[in-house]
Amino acid sequence: MNWRNVFRLISVEIKAGRLVRGQRLRRYRERKIFQYLLYGGACLLGLAIGIGAGSFYTGVSDPDLKVLFDEGALSLFLSIPTLVLIFSLVFTMMRQIQRMGVRASLQPPYWLPITWEEHTLASTLANLIGTPLAFLILLISAITTVSIYLEQIPLATITILALLASAFLASTTTEIFRILQVRLTGAVYKSTGKAAVWVRFLGSMLFLIVFYVVWFAFTSGTGSIALIEAVAGAQNAVWFLPYVWLGMSVAAFMSGLLAQTVVFSLASLLFVLVLFYVAVKLNARFGLYEPPAITISRGVYAPKVGFLGKLGFSSLEAAVIKKDFKAFTRRRELMYIFITPLVFILMPLMQYLGASGGYFSSGGSRFLFAWILLVPGSIMVFMLGLMIIGEEGESVWLFFSSPITARSLVKCKYAFVTIFSFVVMLFCGVVGILLARPSLDIVIALLIESILLIFALGAVSLGAGIKGADFTEVPRPRMVRPLTVLVYGLLCFVLALAIFSPLLLHAVTMRYIPISIYLPKIDLYVAVSISAVVALVVTFVFHKIALRNAEEFLTKAEI
Amino acid sequence: MGSLFMVSTAEAVKLRKVAKRYADIVAVDYVDLDVKYGEIFGLLGPNGSGKSTALKIILGLVKPDSGSVSVLGIKAEDDPISVKRQVGYVPESPRIYEFLTGLEYLDFVGDIYGLDASEKKARIEEYLEAMELEGREGDMISSYSQGMKQKIALISAFMHKPKLLLLDEPLSGLDPRSARIVKDLLRKLATQGVTTIMSTHILEIAQAMSDRIAIMYEGRLLALGTMKELSQKARLPESDLEDIFLKLTRTEDIREVVEALLK
Repeated sequence: MNWRNVFRLISVEIKAGRLVRGQRLRRYRERKIFQYLLYGGACLLGLAIGIGAGSFYTGVSDPDLKVLFDEGALSLFLSIPTLVLIFSLVFTMMRQIQRMGVRASLQPPYWLPITWEEHTLASTLANLIGTPLAFLILLISAITTVSIYLEQIPLATITILALLASAFLASTTTEIFRILQVRLTGAVYKSTGKAAVWVRFLGSMLFLIVFYVVWFAFTSGTGSIALIEAVAGAQNAVWFLPYVWLGMSVAAFMSGLLAQTVVFSLASLLFVLVLFYVAVKLNARFGLYEPPAITISRGVYAPKVGFLGKLGFSSLEAAVIKKDFKAFTRRRELMYIFITPLVFILMPLMQYLGASGGYFSSGGSRFLFAWILLVPGSIMVFMLGLMIIGEEGESVWLFFSSPITARSLVKCKYAFVTIFSFVVMLFCGVVGILLARPSLDIVIALLIESILLIFALGAVSLGAGIKGADFTEVPRPRMVRPLTVLVYGLLCFVLALAIFSPLLLHAVTMRYIPISIYLPKIDLYVAVSISAVVALVVTFVFHKIALRNAEEFLTKAEI
Repeated sequence: MGSLFMVSTAEAVKLRKVAKRYADIVAVDYVDLDVKYGEIFGLLGPNGSGKSTALKIILGLVKPDSGSVSVLGIKAEDDPISVKRQVGYVPESPRIYEFLTGLEYLDFVGDIYGLDASEKKARIEEYLEAMELEGREGDMISSYSQGMKQKIALISAFMHKPKLLLLDEPLSGLDPRSARIVKDLLRKLATQGVTTIMSTHILEIAQAMSDRIAIMYEGRLLALGTMKELSQKARLPESDLEDIFLKLTRTEDIREVVEALLK
């Protein structure tokens, strides 16, 4: 193993991840201070937490409270390796999901004299760079500091070693998963032939849904202390799983069982090595695997006279809309957007189910329905509007070189963004009705409100998406500048609130929202009408802005 | 070389004192250029000499810092849509929608240029057959080789029958048969009055195909003319374009470079 190669490869991956910032980057300049700011911040935060907890501990005079604190700290030490394992596993998997659309491989060129061991190790370690590493530094810093106050330095040392091994274990597991997933999906596409696009689409959706359900099940309801307790208790029950052996070795050390500590530590080390060996072998076997070509159509070509033409779209506009639809069902990095409505349904639902045990009060049911009907559609239209121009990527030259006018561009992109979001909103509405069973008045009012929001936020985000488009595709399509997302995210939030405020006032005056302010009652449909006026003004103004941005975009095209 | 422009009444493309800078890099340095209708015009130059930028300026993809551009009798900045409607463009290493099939992409481009259904169908089928893409047209472009992607990009530039073709390295990655088809097609189109401006590094192609050739170097137009005129300018009669190019761009120190590399 040539460690220089490993470190060089890791550094390449880190730089590749950062390189995409900046629109027209000519040279890669790196400010080391910013590079290490995240880690320095995590270290300081950990130190502060450690000092805070330690000072509290030394300041406590009540012996019962001191014992309780001791038990809590030991329980935390005990569960930390397994918690880190879960966190690292989830985070590195999330990173793999985000990399679904990576165009250029971040992996080193295979023709360089690099061994598979070096390549796999670099890839595994690079997976942990960024947030997971910052999290690890925070934990290590906090544990070290608090252990000085608790006089538990040997235990802290073994916990930190176990914690590092857990992170590596998780990342190696993700590496194995990544290789197998590439091989498996390739085989599935090959066997499904023409249906491969839909298999890929539904498979990706299913994977994301399962992942998020597991994630929400972990994070909602129980709370972090309960989670620590659960992990500390559960790892004893599943001691036969190699993934908890690191936690078990810490537990054995705490109980003074030296022989068990050594056995579990060695067994864990062996498991890590075996897993790494498997990852290396799989990488060598399937690392260069190329998924087969997906055939969409065969037979005689017959141009279709489109339905969109009948709706008043020109052939150019209809072609762009159809192309965008295909993009969103075939491009992996865009498929991610379909999960948004599901996440926004699952999130409140699991919170509610966790908190209320499945029972919805009338106020809760109204809130749940409003959330499910308004939020996913609004988020969807905001995201789509922002990314609909940038998603063209480097193929945007075709737009610049073809006879497309600003008006046509805005028309077809706006139509796509709003139609798509309406479909999502209707789907969510049906789910909301089935779950919350709201009254007809509420359904009608909120339905109108969500339509208004989609029109208004669509115009705002499309204008922003044109202005802030980022066509960088390597290593991952960026689509829109982060600052645009931030600024227009806030603007959309404020505008959405302005549009929705008449209905909020209605809810307050009708005492649906328990605030003790006396206001004259506002009729539901009066509130909706005021909302409509606000939304129409917003839509009109921002549609004009979108048009102006599109003109500028097409005339100042610089590729 | 600001003085190198021809006076003609039938210019498909006319550049006057066109300049473009990117920060401290001069991409195009006050270039005057006339390209006649029905002409195949070769644009040569070393890497970074400003050829691609010049092509983008003609199409309006890059705004010049100064100077004027007239394309097919239209001032590009006044009516860019009319210009684009009549131009077929293939960029250097074109990025095309990889999530579409070859057929879907051509169908999309046909609609963008407003071809009617029967015309679109006929042209797509003809070109797919000519470029030997039949049988793969239903596959996603992501699985195509570089040459196949280039063929698709070329078809999409030709299919709406443009009056001006701007081709940046058009034969890059093509197999010999397809390259020959493209070359013959360009010659045939030239007889029908279609103008082609082609940037290339393959000097044999430029020599064999171009009516006139311009050599760009560091953003300037170093030389312009027919093969005969260029060889006279370089004082290399009977020499081929490679020797002329190396002499004019003062990059003929090949032997020393090779010997240094072999040390």
